[in-house]
Amino acid sequence: MESKKTLPIFSSYKTNPIFYDEIFKNDKEIRNTYDELFKLFNEYKVDDFKLLNEKAKLSFLNQGITFQVYDKTTVEKVFPFDLFPKIITADEWDHIESGALQRSKALNLFLYDVYHKKQIIKDGIVPIELISSSENYLDQMNGLEPPGGIYNHISGTDIIKHSDGEYYVLEDNIRCPSGVSYVVSNRVALKRAMFGVFNNYPTCPVANYSENLLEIMQSVKPAGVDIPTCVVITPGIYNSAYYEHSFLAKSMGIELVEGRDLFIEKDFVYMKTIYGPVKIDVIYRRIDDAFIDPLEFNPDSVLGVPGLFAAYKKGNVTLVNAPGTGVADDKAIYTYMPQIIKYYLNEEPILNNVHTYHCSRPKELAYVLDNIDKLVIKPVDESGGYGISIGNKLTKEEIEKVKAVIKETPRKYIAQPIMALSTHATFIDEKQCFEPRHVDLRTFTLLGKDKEFVLKGGLTRVALKEGNLIVNSSQGGGSKDTWVLKR
Amino acid sequence: MQYHYKIKYATHNTYENPVNNALWQFLIEPKNNDSQFLETSNFRDSYNTLVSKSVNGYGFKTFRVTPKNQITDIIFEAEFSLIKNQVEVQSQDSNLYSKDIIEINSDPFKIEYHSFLKDTILTTLPSDKKNIFLFDDQKTTFENLKALNKWVFIFLYYTIGVTNNRTELKDLITNNKGVAKDFAHLFCAIARQHNIPTRYVSGFLNQDNTYFGASEIHSWVECFVPNVGWVGFDPTNNMMADFNHIKIAHGKDYNDCASLKGIIFSVGKNTTKYSVDVVCQEFIQDKSASLNHISAYNIINKKAL
Repeated sequence: MESKKTLPIFSSYKTNPIFYDEIFKNDKEIRNTYDELFKLFNEYKVDDFKLLNEKAKLSFLNQGITFQVYDKTTVEKVFPFDLFPKIITADEWDHIESGALQRSKALNLFLYDVYHKKQIIKDGIVPIELISSSENYLDQMNGLEPPGGIYNHISGTDIIKHSDGEYYVLEDNIRCPSGVSYVVSNRVALKRAMFGVFNNYPTCPVANYSENLLEIMQSVKPAGVDIPTCVVITPGIYNSAYYEHSFLAKSMGIELVEGRDLFIEKDFVYMKTIYGPVKIDVIYRRIDDAFIDPLEFNPDSVLGVPGLFAAYKKGNVTLVNAPGTGVADDKAIYTYMPQIIKYYLNEEPILNNVHTYHCSRPKELAYVLDNIDKLVIKPVDESGGYGISIGNKLTKEEIEKVKAVIKETPRKYIAQPIMALSTHATFIDEKQCFEPRHVDLRTFTLLGKDKEFVLKGGLTRVALKEGNLIVNSSQGGGSKDTWVLKR
Repeated sequence: MQYHYKIKYATHNTYENPVNNALWQFLIEPKNNDSQFLETSNFRDSYNTLVSKSVNGYGFKTFRVTPKNQITDIIFEAEFSLIKNQVEVQSQDSNLYSKDIIEINSDPFKIEYHSFLKDTILTTLPSDKKNIFLFDDQKTTFENLKALNKWVFIFLYYTIGVTNNRTELKDLITNNKGVAKDFAHLFCAIARQHNIPTRYVSGFLNQDNTYFGASEIHSWVECFVPNVGWVGFDPTNNMMADFNHIKIAHGKDYNDCASLKGIIFSVGKNTTKYSVDVVCQEFIQDKSASLNHISAYNIINKKAL
């Protein structure tokens, strides 16, 4: 079936043959999945659409769904939301889901190994340097048995569609991946703005994330506890993801606490309440490792709970995710993912890895320095898109600067070919029409004791600046609702 | 030879403004190992608060105190008595460093000891000072470490009040003045630079001799020498750790072994005064009391084996 691009709302939509466009096969033809949706959207006039857009934006602001960008000034912003959703067919989703789950499981086994026998290193699959030089490896976690054997209860996998139409994983986030609250609130906003569209597409719900997260938390309760008391701990209202922390606590029906609301006695954790202390068994912590316990880690931390780590070590409380997971979320470990999956699961990786050059290896460093204009340079231990340089967007002086920085601390950097992120139709306010913009997808995987769950949906992040490839919200990205179709 | 020790540790904290909420953690109890056996251990504070015992991230015992009342000053007192054996080091078993290098650079060795091979913020040599002390291939690993011990002792001047708990090596090397903790950090950095697993050790030091650092909680290091095992060096006094050294804990650097960590919610100034008393007595072998000690120690020793 062929639909012509005749209406103004899509009038200036120009696909670029270098990139995979998720809506259009070429300038004329629409991909089957989007057929109905395209028709529905085309019924709107620009003015109507602008009104809808404003409505959606306001609904975010009114709900307080804002975030902060770490910069010289701290400004509260609405996370830009685009009404045109990303659609994933059931078959495509099966592929993504099984791939994300496979990676999470392999990473969990990897973490168990590096904090116990370190067999994968002894067998020469992963070099010891990746662990001995990682700031995120916690010696205190050595030999500790986390309840249920789970380290990364919550994983966020960032996936892109390359120009070959294949999915590639960009990175695995297993410290405190954020964004899931946007998945849920994007769906709510879209339903409010244009309910009709859902009649044409049988879409999997995303609101069941919280109940599954709670079940996962309960499944890893400390030994000897019947009904565990769970809480979410937040660094506080000034954290960029505070809305998400409060959303998760609220939707799970558990308390949202700050460090000062908890105290430790005899290596048990208690919450201060007006009815007296309540023992806490499972903590979903949204505080970084370094700040969870000033007695054990950063002594300046006022965010954590003094003595929490000793209570965890004794098995009296479960921390979700476990401390020290950051070692596997290091971008240098990412390179070894295919081998790690093979080693622990004896399976071929379902999702592709992007080829990665380690600047710590002299040969690869030489290649990186010579071909910087064709590569993306990433620091191994940062998140949120900070510190990334894209080779073909740099001036000559900037290239020299980047080179100097890499030479100084090669271990800190990896390089990847510039991936051609797929493009998706996105409404651009200034131009009042749809244009292609680059997108990626973050999926959310939960692991518990004898339980696993992948959220059918995800956070489609879109780079709003024309041609920009960095989609992180802290770098001026927006998001879309993501539909996974039922069979 | 065996020695009987009585150790008293006291600290007096005063606060300008009343403190409603506080937590102190002490890492001061000597640990049992094959050269020392803790007989009695007492800890109390001036408010007789219930003291809770816990362990730190590396498994060493800690005392924790959370007073229930508002306080402006508080005294903590600890008393330990223990038996210490002469430490014997089989230094003749050490190989030439050039020979040990093969084992030291092998993956199984690096995997086994990786925790004590990596630098921390406090034990990182500045990039232009990486070769500040070099090992001699023609000497044994043990002799090299002894030479390093002497070198650190000569390079740094024991001076109180110049450095603090966060002094990094780049500043220490420029000023070359510091206390036991700084001597230990510099030793750790250089030994680890030569891929010798080295741990930072905190403990008490016998006060009968005029050793540096005996008036407070002392610090020294332990190195893993291939074919010999963990060996203690005290660079502050240019000596081996022996019966004079009573170990409390080890870690990667001072932060893992700090004797007192406090979380105090208050404004204004506070002062902390420490005192450490270590009294040593040689054992008279045929007294019945001491025989009991020895048998108790032997039981522990067997357990350790």
